[in-house]
Amino acid sequence: MGGTIGLRTQSKDVVANISITEPPFVRWILIGVALIFLTIFLLFPILIVVVSALSKGIGFYAQALTDPVAMSAVRLTLFVVAIAVPMNLIFGLAAAWSISKFNFWGKKFLLTLIDLPFTVSPVISGLIYVLLFGAQGVLGPLLQAHNIKIIFAVPGIVLATIFVTFPFVARELIPVMESQGNEEEISALTLGASGWQTFWKVTLPNIKWGLLYGVILSSARAMGEFGAVSVVSGHIRGLTNTIPLHVEILYNEYNFTAAFAVASLLMLLALVTVVLKSWLESGETQPK
Amino acid sequence: MGISIRSIDKSFDDFKALKNVSLEIKQGELVALLGPSGSGKTTLLRIIAGVEKPDQGSVLFFNEEIKDLSLSERKVGFVFQHYALFKHMTVFENVAFGLSVRPRKMRPSKEEIKKKVHELLALVQLERFLNRYPSELSGGQRQRVALARALAIEPKVLLLDEPFGALDAKVRKELRAWLRRLHDELHITSVFVTHDVEEALELADRVVVINEGKIEQVGKPEEVYHDPSNPFVYHFLGNVNLFHCRVEDGKAFIGNMPLALPSHVSPDAKSARIYIRPHLFEVEKTASGNQSFKGTIKYLNPAGPIVKIEMISEWGDLINVEIPIGQYYELEIKKGDVVYVRPKEMKFFSDDYAI
Repeated sequence: MGGTIGLRTQSKDVVANISITEPPFVRWILIGVALIFLTIFLLFPILIVVVSALSKGIGFYAQALTDPVAMSAVRLTLFVVAIAVPMNLIFGLAAAWSISKFNFWGKKFLLTLIDLPFTVSPVISGLIYVLLFGAQGVLGPLLQAHNIKIIFAVPGIVLATIFVTFPFVARELIPVMESQGNEEEISALTLGASGWQTFWKVTLPNIKWGLLYGVILSSARAMGEFGAVSVVSGHIRGLTNTIPLHVEILYNEYNFTAAFAVASLLMLLALVTVVLKSWLESGETQPK
Repeated sequence: MGISIRSIDKSFDDFKALKNVSLEIKQGELVALLGPSGSGKTTLLRIIAGVEKPDQGSVLFFNEEIKDLSLSERKVGFVFQHYALFKHMTVFENVAFGLSVRPRKMRPSKEEIKKKVHELLALVQLERFLNRYPSELSGGQRQRVALARALAIEPKVLLLDEPFGALDAKVRKELRAWLRRLHDELHITSVFVTHDVEEALELADRVVVINEGKIEQVGKPEEVYHDPSNPFVYHFLGNVNLFHCRVEDGKAFIGNMPLALPSHVSPDAKSARIYIRPHLFEVEKTASGNQSFKGTIKYLNPAGPIVKIEMISEWGDLINVEIPIGQYYELEIKKGDVVYVRPKEMKFFSDDYAI
């Protein structure tokens, strides 16, 4: 910026080039700020987790992870992910499809609704299910009469997780589908393809990266969700505890090493997600 | 009759895209729907294809009502301006698509599909690009793949939406000539949409001029060009000079130059409009007869085979004139000269026609 004034006499190309490049000290300050920030707020905590988890040796680490209660938390988390993510995949596809390819009354409202879980605090997300399905809730007596348990049980956890991960797939797909329009689909239909063939052979290949990306993001969120799940879970050890809830319990019992050991598991899952995500992104940009 | 369009109405919310449009397209004909953007020409094409449903009216293919046929049952070849090729498929897979999605019983064997695709790619001169992806082709090549893909299902009618709109001028001209030859070979009933007058006049057997949801004129290219039925068509199909004239004693006057009034303009009218194409002027240095405009040359561009001249008449009208370069050299005129221009042909329209 400051450097351009003295350089006006040079050829236009050089001026144009230099005028969009900051002077070195600005660059170094910006890079430095970003690096320091990342180190303090990201790298350092990750290291702490790893170091604390291993502070009592590999044996203790393995023990903390293979503890039956911990194992059951892992199983429950994976179970919840296995239900919530496919549900959101189907819902996200349907929502993105209807929003990007059709015009209908209430479209704007639906778009706003999809974003709701992003804007509502997770605790509230959990609470609405308690108010709906809990013993004192609107549907409570009905559920009790039929002996159906949702709150403080696995179904509640699944519902809360679906709610908070609701927008991910749809939000990823809407811009992709909108930018692609429907000309390829129309072409496929005029060529005699059925609606189903059009979806599998034309639509799906076009949106697969966006779809996978959305699935990865919603999986990550589903595994790590604490607030909403905490409200509806009831924290019953070995039954309704997911990994994040188990970490909290261990921490509250001053069992820091075990807490960090289990936390490192979540972190590992997060790292896998990030790696998968960047692998997907590189795949997307590759020329086909 | 190839395609019959009967009293089609179509609105989008409050906007009336088509108003009671009827049109007959003969079997084997190549027809252009020509009009400015927003005129409803693409909507009409999409209704023929079945992509849009009309509010009123019906479409018949070969005297058969097709209103209730779905997009995939209509057997139309539809080609988009931006090709709409399947990005993740090779050229071969794109062209083979229409055949390979058929139900098993009606599907040709792999060998037959292969043979057919090769034939089609030979037809569009792209045999060598079989294994390329659309992103590896130029715009003109992509459009030819799109055409081959549409032809693979042996469509009853071929519909093209601004087929050359996204291509540069040179490729557009080549592809235009190529499409004309292809049509002469295949004789498939075809309709294409364009806003490019030259394209419509050069390519089509008949031109349908559309404006504001209505058909203004239907005719052979030379008919719509030389004998436009109203001022809109005259304006849209080429450059024009417009003169407002007053009508007195059964004669029209531009300035104080009297002109014979044609029979279709009522002698009771107070005023009329006269349209003259720029190339329909005889330029002279001295007036011959009393039917010439006198004027001063304000601008002159002799770059190219046609010389464009702008002059101001003695009554203050701006007149655009085009003469061949040879004539320009013979006349030896330059900016600032006073010349006389005599219209060789004029078109009168009553003043009540609003554009």
